Amino acid sequence: MAGKKRKADTKMWGSASPSSSSGSRRKPSSSSRRPGSGGGYAASTIDESAAEAMFDALCEEDNPGAANMEGICQLCEQLDLDPLEDVRVLVLLWKLGANKKPAEIQREEWMAGCNKLQLDSIDKFKGLLPGLDTGFMDREEFSDFYKFCFQFNRAGTHKTLEKDLVVALLKMCLAGGRITSHRLETFCGFLETTKDEGYGKITLDQWRSFLDFSYEYPDAKALEAYDEGESAWPVLIDEYVEHMENQGKKGRKK
Amino acid sequence: MSQNQGNIIQLEEGWNDVIKKGAIDVLEKTLDDGFDTSFEPKEYIRIYTTCYDMCTQRSPYNWSRDLYTRHGETIETYLRNTVLPALQDKTGQGGTILLNELKHRWSNHQIMNKWLKKFFTYLDRYYVKHHSLPTLEQAGLQHFKTEIYQNSKENSTSAIIALIDEEREGEIIDKTLVKSIVELYESMGMGSLDSYTNDLEQPLLESTRAYYGRKREDWIAKDSTPDYLIKAEKALGEEKTRVVEYLNPATEPKIRKVVEDEILQKVQMNLLEKEGSGCSVLLANDKTEDLQRMFQLFSRLDDGLQPVANIVEKFITAQGTACVDKRQARLDSGEKDKNDDPEFVKSLIDLHEKYLGVIRETFANHHLFGKALKNSFEEIVNSDVGQYSNAELMSTFCDRILKSGGEKLSETEVEQSLDRIVQLFSFLTDKDMFAEIYRNQLAKRLLNQRSASEDAEKAMIGKLKLQCGTQFTSKMEGMLNDLAVGSEQKSEFDQRLAQQGDAKGLSFGVQVLTIGNWPSYKAPEVAIPPQMSKCMDVFKEWHDAKHQKRRLTWVHSLGNATVRATYGKKSYDLQVTTLQAVVLNAFNDGKTYGFTELKEKLNLDDITLKPLMHSLSCGKHKIILKSPASNKIASTDSFSPNAKFTSNMRKLRIPVASVDASHNKNRVEEDRSVAIEAAIVRIMKARKTLGHQQLVAEVLSQLAFFKPQPRVIKKRIEALIDREYLERSSENTQQYNYLA
Repeated sequence: MAGKKRKADTKMWGSASPSSSSGSRRKPSSSSRRPGSGGGYAASTIDESAAEAMFDALCEEDNPGAANMEGICQLCEQLDLDPLEDVRVLVLLWKLGANKKPAEIQREEWMAGCNKLQLDSIDKFKGLLPGLDTGFMDREEFSDFYKFCFQFNRAGTHKTLEKDLVVALLKMCLAGGRITSHRLETFCGFLETTKDEGYGKITLDQWRSFLDFSYEYPDAKALEAYDEGESAWPVLIDEYVEHMENQGKKGRKK
Repeated sequence: MSQNQGNIIQLEEGWNDVIKKGAIDVLEKTLDDGFDTSFEPKEYIRIYTTCYDMCTQRSPYNWSRDLYTRHGETIETYLRNTVLPALQDKTGQGGTILLNELKHRWSNHQIMNKWLKKFFTYLDRYYVKHHSLPTLEQAGLQHFKTEIYQNSKENSTSAIIALIDEEREGEIIDKTLVKSIVELYESMGMGSLDSYTNDLEQPLLESTRAYYGRKREDWIAKDSTPDYLIKAEKALGEEKTRVVEYLNPATEPKIRKVVEDEILQKVQMNLLEKEGSGCSVLLANDKTEDLQRMFQLFSRLDDGLQPVANIVEKFITAQGTACVDKRQARLDSGEKDKNDDPEFVKSLIDLHEKYLGVIRETFANHHLFGKALKNSFEEIVNSDVGQYSNAELMSTFCDRILKSGGEKLSETEVEQSLDRIVQLFSFLTDKDMFAEIYRNQLAKRLLNQRSASEDAEKAMIGKLKLQCGTQFTSKMEGMLNDLAVGSEQKSEFDQRLAQQGDAKGLSFGVQVLTIGNWPSYKAPEVAIPPQMSKCMDVFKEWHDAKHQKRRLTWVHSLGNATVRATYGKKSYDLQVTTLQAVVLNAFNDGKTYGFTELKEKLNLDDITLKPLMHSLSCGKHKIILKSPASNKIASTDSFSPNAKFTSNMRKLRIPVASVDASHNKNRVEEDRSVAIEAAIVRIMKARKTLGHQQLVAEVLSQLAFFKPQPRVIKKRIEALIDREYLERSSENTQQYNYLA
């Protein structure tokens, strides 16, 4: 979920278009909606029916087993979070464990997540907000979250992300000091200006490698030691380094 | 005097009366006088018996010890008092005189030693053994060594060395004399060569080194490389002979090493790089003999040939680069850049042949030079200039030889040319590109019946197979096979067609191509006239009965036809393509047709129809009239049959520009991607986990027919990661794991 205003968000959000059926949603009684999920946890310390009810309000009309972006946006509204700009939305979804399909959260995932995080009301969700800062995560956790960001934002069964979306996502989840702002800016700049058609879409491998690469070569000085001949980094990274070198040369020529 | 039983011989008595008087004094006198030493048998027995008796008498009259001692003393005294002064006298009178004296004295000593040993033999048998003493002979020798040898060895060594130097300068010396003295040194080692080695050989080696060091400096300043090498060769030969003539054989390798070191090793690079006469100059002027000499001399040195091979490699590369530059110059000066440059290809072939010969004749086919040739040609052959790669130029060169109407060559010349082009081919990196182009050209030859000789085609494919393996040539062989099968089955089909009768007198032949083997062709679904489609149906029926599982697709863009055009009393046979025939047939009704009309009627696209119309209406023989008349086909043109067509000839060929699928670069790229990925998967499956560098190295070693850039390989690895064949290792960012 990224901050750029775009014409049709459909490709990002998957199936649901923002204008569909918000008013005409049927809200049937909880009992017929619940496909026997009650006994999932032996000794649950939350009010499960309350959590279920929350989900009922968010899930799709014709598919009670999952909530798509429309429902998620609703939740965000209640929490006063901007789903296009605020990385905490993604962190929340990650913590809840929305892994099965992109741009969706399944009922089971919701219930398991609520149990794990001890949530059964909007207020409790609100209480969670401060802890959703990425700064709290250690390296391993952040890597996992970072991977989730990519996976969650895919369109349907596609395995890649469009370059524009990637740039926006990077800026959203890597702001905050994980990598230097110089690295973030120059890399995004490189992606945006490269004429190579092969980089119109970015793969998960390239996405993850960028982070690992930035850990190993954090700044411009470290880049001097970069040796393409020996590197297993994706070609995208090699070309970025080459691009930075050329920039440096241009700078010196002036 | 015979032994008197019970008559004891006293020591002094026996010694003085018999031994000294009868043997030793006599001996010394004859030696001094220079006469031959000999003793009468009776005299000899007397002395011998006296010794014997004196040694076998019972204690205290057993004089063994005394006799032994006195034996030694005698020799010692003689040497000291007689021999040494004589020698010292001769020292300072010049080396030869000293040596001669030494030789004389040594010879004498040997005689003395021999006789004394004879007389005192009994001591050797028991006394010496019993007391573990040196034998008489050894003792005598030792005395000579101590008294004479040690005192004179330095002078005699100097004398010998001086003589050797003289001989080196061309003087005649007394070799026999030197040899004798050398034998003296050898003997002084008493079982080992130590005396010789330390006292003569060592100083000789030092002086040899100094001598040749001076010579080297002298020669290198004045002589050209070939002249120097001649001198070096001569010197080495002389030293070898010298050892054989008068030195100990053990010296040969040592002295050889010293000389090689001084006159070859130390100036090798100097000689190789000498301006005006160094190795590359000799190569440029084909100085075979000089180069042979150079090769033989430097092969004596450790790693002596590598520098020569390096120069040879550089030289050949420069020659090859000159050929490439020539081609570039021709293109720069405006020559048309086409895919055919026989002049260039031939120049490379000739260059290769020449240096193959040089390596054989001059460098004895030594592997280092074979490698040098290979390295340089790998660089030359892969230097492309202009629009067309050398791979393509080489393939076209083959095409010239193999097509009918190409080069006029005898069978042996063809065989030879093909052999040589395959040798050049072996240096190409992009062999797969060559294969693709060659296949396309082969297809053209075969389908247009332009192949000069099936045997030649087979031979060439055989040579490629030998170089690269079966897989490389399987498609080409498949193509030849298709044609062979076709001609086998032709007569069977002809019979069937004749039976049909319905064929309206059309003679008709079909060539079946197996798709995978041949280049891909467009198969336009042109509207076929009924007479033709009838024949096609007959064939299909017959074929399907024979091969149920095969699917046929008609490729009308490839066929040929003969059309009989009749104008009143005159008629002509037009050799055209199938598509041209279909177009001509459309005009049989005499009507005029517009371009677009024709397009629809015949179901052809612009790209196909335009060249066809051009060939029929704008070429040499205008069978069809075009209006407006011009040299370009526009979609607004209209066409009608040319009722007034005439020609002098009866049989006419109407050529048409072929809309070639010239070799498909994309196809090769695709095949390469597949090959790289297959290699990666193969390797990772076997190794399970591997570092990036190693993986790239192993992939490169597995790819025989092209050499991809590292980035290309990386892209393939990324693609395989994406398809989950591999993953990056979580422990090491530079390592991959295989995912089963």
